[in-house]
Amino acid sequence: MFVQLTLWRREMAAYFLSPIAYVSSIFFLLITGFNFYLVVGLFYSKEYTIPDVMEQLLSSPLFFWPTFLLIVPVLTMRTFAEEKHSGTIETLMTAPVTERAVVLSKFMAALAMFLCLWLPTSAYPFLLEVFSEEVAPLDIWPVASGYLGVLLLGMFYLSVGVLCSALTGSQVVAAIATYAMMGILFFGGLVHTYVAADLIREISLYISSFEHQQKFVRGIVDSRPIVFYASGTVLVLFATIRLLEGRRG
Amino acid sequence: MDIIDVKNLTKRYPGRTAVSDISFRVAPGEIVGFLGPNGAGKTTTMRILSGFLPATGGDVNIGGRDVSKQSLEIRRHIGYLPESCPLYPEMRVSEYLGYRARLKGLPRGRRKERIRTVLEMCGLLDVRRRVIGHLSKGYRQRVGLADALVHDPELLILDEPTIGLDPNQIREIRNLIRDLSGKHTILLSTHILPEVEAICERVLILDKGKIVASDTPENLAGIVSGSIRVVAEIKGLQSEIINTVKALPGVNNVSDRLEGAWVKLEVSGKLGTDLRQNIFQTVVENKWTLRELRTISTTLEDVFGALTSGDNRSRG
Repeated sequence: MFVQLTLWRREMAAYFLSPIAYVSSIFFLLITGFNFYLVVGLFYSKEYTIPDVMEQLLSSPLFFWPTFLLIVPVLTMRTFAEEKHSGTIETLMTAPVTERAVVLSKFMAALAMFLCLWLPTSAYPFLLEVFSEEVAPLDIWPVASGYLGVLLLGMFYLSVGVLCSALTGSQVVAAIATYAMMGILFFGGLVHTYVAADLIREISLYISSFEHQQKFVRGIVDSRPIVFYASGTVLVLFATIRLLEGRRG
Repeated sequence: MDIIDVKNLTKRYPGRTAVSDISFRVAPGEIVGFLGPNGAGKTTTMRILSGFLPATGGDVNIGGRDVSKQSLEIRRHIGYLPESCPLYPEMRVSEYLGYRARLKGLPRGRRKERIRTVLEMCGLLDVRRRVIGHLSKGYRQRVGLADALVHDPELLILDEPTIGLDPNQIREIRNLIRDLSGKHTILLSTHILPEVEAICERVLILDKGKIVASDTPENLAGIVSGSIRVVAEIKGLQSEIINTVKALPGVNNVSDRLEGAWVKLEVSGKLGTDLRQNIFQTVVENKWTLRELRTISTTLEDVFGALTSGDNRSRG
């Protein structure tokens, strides 16, 4: 546990000692801020309440998904690929650390960065409440479940990113592979709107991140997507650990 | 008990055998040099010893533990410096060593003092606050060495510790390694021959994944030349000198050259005889004058060339 904390701190330091943390957070804040501005400008009215605005920001194909999908590989591509490229993987793995500790600490650091990036956006509903003339008290629960969805999606997609990074020694290849995997997952979840075949429709609906997030943001906390993302994350991280162990034999 | 015990180690990559069926032992406190041309399997062997790569076949025991089964425990007792000395360029020297010390499980109380010790040993005190990426190659190499030493391991595995350094830096690193020799067992690889002669007590020569020789540098030199050679410069009657020296016991061959009034002889004799004593006595008995008497040592360079270029004349 102590070793894991040491590794995690080193990972966090790596984000903040390189430009990644600053560049990605600046652009992330710019994009989410601009989205917020657009959503409020376009939609906000007497009929369109704060949860509706948050629904746009946390699930719409225009204001949420591009931002979400863009940021994942930025956070994960360096995790293993950089260490492999520079050779530091050799000093890392010959220290008395387990593969599990290494993988989990890298994943936890990426997740922590991811949550740090989303954290400022959680001020939006409160800002709106203060500055709008809406009289009804803010219903916090749909917003909270919307963020629960972001957390679950983040966990799963970031773990996929970490796996892709562990597969290659090039950050660019890792990023491209992550985009490809996320593309398959995300668009696979949209196929159900076009296909009539029952089985494919079922599968597509079951893995549909888009549908899941739409429900979460409306305050519907279903156990199925929670199980799906939690078990998916565990499975992908386990695969990453096995992949690293396989190199050691 | 041997600290390293390698039996029939084999490592195959797809389509290529990097290490084929090598066996060797290293006793505690020894400094052993791995010598071999590039691609001989030095780095592969060291990576297997350090637990970074799995072996294809054979047994590797370090401190009585099996590398394939108790890798984690073994890694606590090994200090490993990989070939290219990889470091995190964005970290500061003391920060990096602190991180590595924590990673290697050094208890909090000992950490500070131990980091201070290795900083001092490796001559890094002045640069301890500098960012690693801004350091010269020599300093970076020392940071790598400090990292290998920070948990005070019993066994140090150093892969090409002096590569890319200038002669002064090489000498410094060499001295440092020599200073460490009392307390640690050291296995180092290099393809720089004088380095092995300067530091190592024993040399393992690898070629094409096989150990072709294993002995002290001096003995290896003897094996290759098959004889010892002595140079003597004597003043006296040339023919008389040559005939007398040729008749000495143990002398195989004498070649001579005149240098003014001096006769310069190159005498080769059987291994195990000390020709110098006999020559000196002859000179005294005949009342000649002697101005030089020395043995020509066969360098490891000769050994290396003979053993790794496919030249078999002195193997066996």
